[in-house]
Amino acid sequence: MELANWVPAGSDTGLPSAARLYDYLLGGGHNFAADRALAEELLVVEPNARAIARHNRSFLRRAVLYMIDQGVQQFLDLGSGIPTVGNVHEVARRAAPETRVVYVDFEDIAVAHSRRILAADPLAAIVQEDLTEPTAVLDAASRTGLLDLAEPVGLLAVSVLHFVSSTADAAGALGVYRDAVASGSHLALSHATADLQPVEMAGIVEVMKRSANPVFPRSHAEVHGFFLGFDVVDPGVVPVPRWRPERAADDDPASAGLFAGVGHKG
Amino acid sequence: MTPQEPPPRTRRQELAREWMKAVYSTTYVPMSSTEIELYLLDLVDVIADAIQAEPFSAEPVGAVGDRMVSAHFTGLETLQRTVEVLGHALLFTPELAGVDRLAEKVVAILGALAARFATAMRLDAFDQQEEIKWALLQAKQGVERTLKLSEARFHEVFGSSALGIAITGLDGTVIEANDAMAAILGGDGDLVGESLLARFHPDDTHVLTESYRGVREGVVDRFREQHRLIRSDGEPAWVYLAVSLLRDADGEPAYHVTMVEDVSELHLMQKNLDFLLLHDSLTGLSNRQHFITQLEAVHSRSERGITLYHLDLDSFSLINNGLGHATGDRLLKQTAQRLTAVVAGENTVVARIGGDEFAIVVDNSATTPGVTTMIDMINDELAEPTFVDDRGVALTASIGVLDRPSRDWTVGELLRAANMTLHRAKAKGKRQWLPYDPHEDSRHRTWADVAASMPGALENGEIEVDFQPVVALADRTVVGVAAQLRWGTWGHRQCLELAEETGLSLPVGQWMLRHAGELVARWREDAELATVPLHVSLGPMQSRDEDLVGAVKRTLDETGLPVSELRISLNTRAVLTGGGDDNVQVLADSGISTGLTAFHGGQDELALLTELPITSVTIAGADVRRLAAEPDRDSLLHNAMAALVSVVHRAGVTVVATGVASEDEAAWWAAIGADAAQGEFFAPPLTADEVTGLFHRN
Repeated sequence: MELANWVPAGSDTGLPSAARLYDYLLGGGHNFAADRALAEELLVVEPNARAIARHNRSFLRRAVLYMIDQGVQQFLDLGSGIPTVGNVHEVARRAAPETRVVYVDFEDIAVAHSRRILAADPLAAIVQEDLTEPTAVLDAASRTGLLDLAEPVGLLAVSVLHFVSSTADAAGALGVYRDAVASGSHLALSHATADLQPVEMAGIVEVMKRSANPVFPRSHAEVHGFFLGFDVVDPGVVPVPRWRPERAADDDPASAGLFAGVGHKG
Repeated sequence: MTPQEPPPRTRRQELAREWMKAVYSTTYVPMSSTEIELYLLDLVDVIADAIQAEPFSAEPVGAVGDRMVSAHFTGLETLQRTVEVLGHALLFTPELAGVDRLAEKVVAILGALAARFATAMRLDAFDQQEEIKWALLQAKQGVERTLKLSEARFHEVFGSSALGIAITGLDGTVIEANDAMAAILGGDGDLVGESLLARFHPDDTHVLTESYRGVREGVVDRFREQHRLIRSDGEPAWVYLAVSLLRDADGEPAYHVTMVEDVSELHLMQKNLDFLLLHDSLTGLSNRQHFITQLEAVHSRSERGITLYHLDLDSFSLINNGLGHATGDRLLKQTAQRLTAVVAGENTVVARIGGDEFAIVVDNSATTPGVTTMIDMINDELAEPTFVDDRGVALTASIGVLDRPSRDWTVGELLRAANMTLHRAKAKGKRQWLPYDPHEDSRHRTWADVAASMPGALENGEIEVDFQPVVALADRTVVGVAAQLRWGTWGHRQCLELAEETGLSLPVGQWMLRHAGELVARWREDAELATVPLHVSLGPMQSRDEDLVGAVKRTLDETGLPVSELRISLNTRAVLTGGGDDNVQVLADSGISTGLTAFHGGQDELALLTELPITSVTIAGADVRRLAAEPDRDSLLHNAMAALVSVVHRAGVTVVATGVASEDEAAWWAAIGADAAQGEFFAPPLTADEVTGLFHRN
């Protein structure tokens, strides 16, 4: 008999995904026509979208390098998406070649691509899990042999929690990760907000409703709340280009779209 | 890209910084601004060196386009800003002021850079597109793999499950069923296409249909109930059912999944518990209480009657006291085994109904040994000594037998009668047995057995036709021979009764007619023999046989027996109550002499004589014997019979008396004018050979 209806359908590869859209905004080619079309719509409601993507990616790099400075030698990148320019393991290795990275994503294409990129890399791996199920994530990550929870972990939740709906308990999930990692661990987080540009963000929310990853912006207080149990390091939770910039900013922080911050578990 | 001391070529450094500033916000390059500056400085060196080289070639600058793309200087405006910055700087920097045909060279260099940049971008985009499409393919294959794995897991569970699982369409047709399901049902495994509901006990079907409907209509998600499935061998299997619904891709009900857990073993355990409550723990036989219910059941459904044996071991208390209770228990166990062995081939219940008392109820079959045989077997079995400390101990029993009691006896009456008989037997001494009512029971027993074997006997030629002479009372000459059935020691009357009881009446009747007709026809061909007409008397059912006329005609046609040589008498009651009267009419129309048997002379019977072409009546044997038993020849009955004969005669019908047993009787019947008679007094039924002796002309 035909038993195809017995299993849940696989991830829908037809819908535009935030990860591929992000790749496109960063100038990458790991995307499909549907992704690019939606990205163009996004650029209509938020002409600054490319800059936001660039700032966010730049924040990721700076945060990783900051954590390495703080002694972190292993990273857990939650919702890593499509590997694109400046992946965590590439950025980190330029500063510390022995850095271990476990990527976590749930989307089939992102996982397939990551697996291929990382196939020959003994110090990096991808696990296919839902980041809102931290126990499963931590189990799978530990099974890779790359993550040692007794040592400080660099938790990365960069531009990802705004894809977790308000009904799912993102803060609760973060709490589980926080409790699981050793002291000395860090959390780097960036998150879409309507605080800075309410009109544009409303447009983004509308456009992204037609993707596989609708966006749920959160207020500064809410984003700050994600750091519960962490000491937020200077300069705090700030517009993303303002987090420890390397050169005098040439962008208006009001158009950053995202808040960003790094916390330290004492 | 290690940081290094700024080189002395500060103009190139400045250019690298300008370039960095121009492109920094056009793209994301995963480097710090300092790192970017240094990276670009290398590229500035390549360009500046190329522009100053002799002879001039723009070719080395192509590498700059490649390196820009590989470091991700690939934003939409990156190339444009690069051309602006470099073009301005190259044309107006003092370092290059002396270069020959500078503008021409700058254009060539920027052209080469842009061309290689474009090519590298194209190739990079192709690569990335290929990668992402590969990933898409992988992902889709992954989904399919997951699907296959999931399906494989399902089939593993499905196949290896101890639970029977059947997937059925909404109409109950089995689409797939696993081995466990087949095992529970005990079939050959191929349930596909069958209706699962048909596999449930008929009593449960209605309830189950409703339960399935409830699941299908979403009233309940699933149901879990206990029911009986019917195995392929017809035995019920107790199962727990769990039934749920599968929906199709659109969410519409598509299949039922029925999971079945065989709990027959639980029922067996339950039965074991019952067994303990109902059985004697020492011997394993039914206990008294259980025996009573079993006896009741066997008695009420027995077709050939039961035989109840009530046994009491003789002097068992002596054994118990003398050899010890352990030995006593051992002997009791052995007695139980031996009694069970004796009746092993029969449908019986053996029980221990007291300390040293046993009971056996036998549901008799055609092959069940008789009571005496059974008693002998029991006695023989018990006489076999058991060795206790090298001493042989043999037991004897007294037995009361209740053979084929009437169906309406209660269990209490059965047990009381058997017990009473046992006590009468014990009173006679050891190793004695008595039947409760030997005459009645043995008669009944024999009768039933004979009836059961009649079909076989007919087929095997065990039933024969004899001929009893019919004698004219006036001159004592033989005027006919009456065909009579004989089967072993059974005479004609019993054979007819048996035939009527077993439903063999019609074939036996036709067979008798045919067989006797053949013999008589053959004798007629023998010139030595002076034959007489054949009289055939039929039973009630035979008289109503719709094919009687046909059978008679066939006999006459095929044997060549003349019509005048055959007289057929039909049963009076059968003619009166319908069916037989048509036969009388048609036989008579065919020229066959037709009479009535078992004639009593009632008004209705006499009326027949005026209505039908009857030629003779045969007085019922019972009436003849009743008269014979009455010594007073002037009795009312004798006078009535005399009057009857006279009346019959007036109708032009002759009278025959059967069962005449003495000279006196013969004389009396002659005196009142009866025409003929048959009976032991004249001659018993004779075999075919014997009767021909009567016909010899000399």
